[in-house]
Amino acid sequence: MTRSFPKAQVVVYPGSNCDRDALWALKYVGFDAEFIGIHDHIDADLVILPGGFSYGDYLRVGAVAAREPIASEIKDFVNRGGLVIGICNGFQILIEMRLLSGALLQNSTGKFICKVVELEVSDITTPFTNYFIKGERILLPIAHGFGRYVKTDELKTNVVFRYTEDVNGSDEFIAGVSNNDKNVIGLMPHPERSIERLICSDDGLRVFLSAFNYIKLKKTQEDQKANAKVGV
Amino acid sequence: MPKYQFVIDIQYKSNVRDPRGEMIKRVLNDEYRIPASNLRLGKSIHLEIDAESMEEALKLVDKACEKLLVNTVTETYEVRKI
Amino acid sequence: MQRLVYNMKYIDILERKLGRKATKAEIEAFTVMWSEHCGYSHTKGYIRQLPRVGFGGNAGIVPLDDYHFIAFKVESHNHPSAVEPFNGAATGVGGIIRDILAMGARPTAVLDSLHMDKITEGIIDGISDYGNSIGVPTVGGELRISNYYKYNPLVNVMAVGIGKNEHLIPSMAKRAGQVIVIFGGATGRDGIHGASFASEDLTGEKATKLSIQVGDPFAEKMLIEAFLEMVEEGLVEGAQDLGAGGVLSATSELVAKADLGAVVHLERIALREPDMNPVEILISESQERMAVVTSPEKADRVIEIARKHLLFADIAAEVTKTGQYVAKYNGKTVIDVPAKLLEESPEESIYDYTPSEMPKFSWIKFKDIDAHEVFERYDYMVGTDTVVKPGYGPAVMRVKGSCGYSLVIHSRADLGFQDPYWAAYITLLESVRKTLAVGARPLAITDGINYADPDVEPEGLAAQMMGLKNACEFSNVPVASGNASLYNTYKGKGIPPTLVIGMIGKLEDLNVPRPKKGPVYALGFKDFELEREKILWNEIERIAKSGHFVVSMHDFSTMSTLKSELQNVGLEMKLKIPKCEPAHQLVVVFGDVETKLPKELIGYVR
Repeated sequence: MTRSFPKAQVVVYPGSNCDRDALWALKYVGFDAEFIGIHDHIDADLVILPGGFSYGDYLRVGAVAAREPIASEIKDFVNRGGLVIGICNGFQILIEMRLLSGALLQNSTGKFICKVVELEVSDITTPFTNYFIKGERILLPIAHGFGRYVKTDELKTNVVFRYTEDVNGSDEFIAGVSNNDKNVIGLMPHPERSIERLICSDDGLRVFLSAFNYIKLKKTQEDQKANAKVGV
Repeated sequence: MPKYQFVIDIQYKSNVRDPRGEMIKRVLNDEYRIPASNLRLGKSIHLEIDAESMEEALKLVDKACEKLLVNTVTETYEVRKI
Repeated sequence: MQRLVYNMKYIDILERKLGRKATKAEIEAFTVMWSEHCGYSHTKGYIRQLPRVGFGGNAGIVPLDDYHFIAFKVESHNHPSAVEPFNGAATGVGGIIRDILAMGARPTAVLDSLHMDKITEGIIDGISDYGNSIGVPTVGGELRISNYYKYNPLVNVMAVGIGKNEHLIPSMAKRAGQVIVIFGGATGRDGIHGASFASEDLTGEKATKLSIQVGDPFAEKMLIEAFLEMVEEGLVEGAQDLGAGGVLSATSELVAKADLGAVVHLERIALREPDMNPVEILISESQERMAVVTSPEKADRVIEIARKHLLFADIAAEVTKTGQYVAKYNGKTVIDVPAKLLEESPEESIYDYTPSEMPKFSWIKFKDIDAHEVFERYDYMVGTDTVVKPGYGPAVMRVKGSCGYSLVIHSRADLGFQDPYWAAYITLLESVRKTLAVGARPLAITDGINYADPDVEPEGLAAQMMGLKNACEFSNVPVASGNASLYNTYKGKGIPPTLVIGMIGKLEDLNVPRPKKGPVYALGFKDFELEREKILWNEIERIAKSGHFVVSMHDFSTMSTLKSELQNVGLEMKLKIPKCEPAHQLVVVFGDVETKLPKELIGYVR
């Protein structure tokens, strides 16, 4: 580990528009955070694919972004065990990249929905949810037109968040999933918008806090191992 | 009553801009090096109509298009029997 | 082949000023520049009489705190929305966003005032699609449903942005030797004669034969990021967005305001349609384009930033000291006229108006709609700066690390129908009440004039403008920017005079009062007397500052939106609607308060 402090990078695709919000949330929690573009290299502990309308959603949501040069960087990073959060359009991109299973289709109402919804935290064993209690009810905002999650592979779908009632027609009210290794998570709601009670709830804060402390802990453990080897 | 099947191909009129098609074409050209041109993004509707004859069915499809399926200010359409 | 429009109203004046017969190209150019939409012939005189602040640029500006200014403006896209609701509304959003951007401000909020005969899905979708894509939250608006707008819907969009003081961009060139870079999407035949189209009655074929303007929100988003990057690097010495009148309007205005001239090279404009003739390139209203005035040595960097953002860019013109506006195509002169002449659209006479006593108004009610079904289709949270979301009344935003600002958009077409002077006056007063109700202090307004035919009925317009002027002076709230949309008629029948006011206020304390459980009171008077207004304002301010939620509405029988919003947060509101005159001085307060105003218990929240 060349870095002692948790570092996060937010990938800005042409058309991403929740990137500044994501940076704000990361810095709020204490990350050393920066933006990177589609031709840049990943050098971080945590990578965020933010919300927005990459490439205008013109072809299929997330389709063009998923095939940009940075896609291979992201895949390698994931294989090395790096942490990735895909929020809203970021979730759609992770699905198009096949780093998460499932499909995200148009909301059952056919319309864009922006509102605060209640979620249930289903899996607290991921690096992003260890600050929650199992089954805890939280409030996060959604803002999307294509958020209907359709399960395609039972074995590869690990549900992390569920809506507590039908919001957009998602299978089993699924709001967010992770991969089997649990280092990649995608969710349609926006935790970066729930950092302060003034703006919304502050339930989203704990998603970033969980990741921050998971990384810090790992670093401390690695440092201890390294020191033990050297006989300190 | 017999059923008649159609595909309705809906496209923007030639004097109406298609920014989605333009962007997708540019990505194909610049990033995938595929020399595509004149890329237009439209929509396709498949449907069946109950009618006594093909003539009547076609009339009904046209009516559906004019009244609902097509924005006749900005779009044109082509009906194909299948 | 473009059909030339020969029936231009002011040909005689033009030829007299030129001292000769006008060429075909000149007629085309002046038809656009001297159209009502670009030239403001019928309203210039009135606008000059308004108390103004921060006026004259692409958008109005007022200082917000020691480091930031706030830019804001309202603009209408009525005629295009009548023909093609989706694209009309979408491009309306695009246009006003660029006006804000051109001042060096990042757009932070959009509000819309919609007058339609029914909830027109196309208009809502157009605003939603465009606003959401570019990541600017739509935080408020008003929805007025009435048959009067069946053929002439009104789509007025207000945009707001925040910029750092050192980034404030002048809307003009500074000296000869500068260059003008035009960047953005490619240019096509969009909206050719759109500017003059907006100045005509909407009957018949004329309306549909024109090129519909289609928005490209992806290009707009890239344009916003590219421009702000240029501003950050200090490359922008002047800017103007390309809207009505395209290249012609933007480049001529930039130089005319500074008593300078320009040489424009039309062959350098990136085209997306083949075989466009030079005049078409000059006046095309293709969206998502911006003109940047910069020094020659900075131009390459400007172009580099634009291209990095997937946009077209080139040096389109040089600023000269001759005062002549010369447009060329491959060296051949297309037009060569004094730049100032293009800006000096003939002024129609303005009329004096002597206000009479306020009449007893009759109620003309708009449909009561739960606006959730509309605003939940807009992303109102992107940017994480929305403190008070839609549903409560005025929106409140914040600047991270600094203060907050309130945003109100309001109109009284129901009164406008009966007495345009008092309608304008009351609209302004009610906007002040709404601003005070959230604990903010009014800073300035932007006014959207929507009127029928001023040639047939000039008195109504004069009355409306006098009402606005007097109300601004009474309230000590100046005008920072505005827009005028005239000729909203169909087969000769016009809309009621509809003045839309957008008001910005400043808040130091972001702990805005929220509705709480308890008794609900109606405070104030069921009718209107001007002498009482400022007492009402003092009370509203005091009560809001003490933490009580105050609601100021023109029609308390249309509270579905608030009721439904309270249900979302687990509160149930039961009220006996206070009966009042269409012009009243009543507010509703949550919780018991000490007040010198008449007070009546009207219900409770639990």
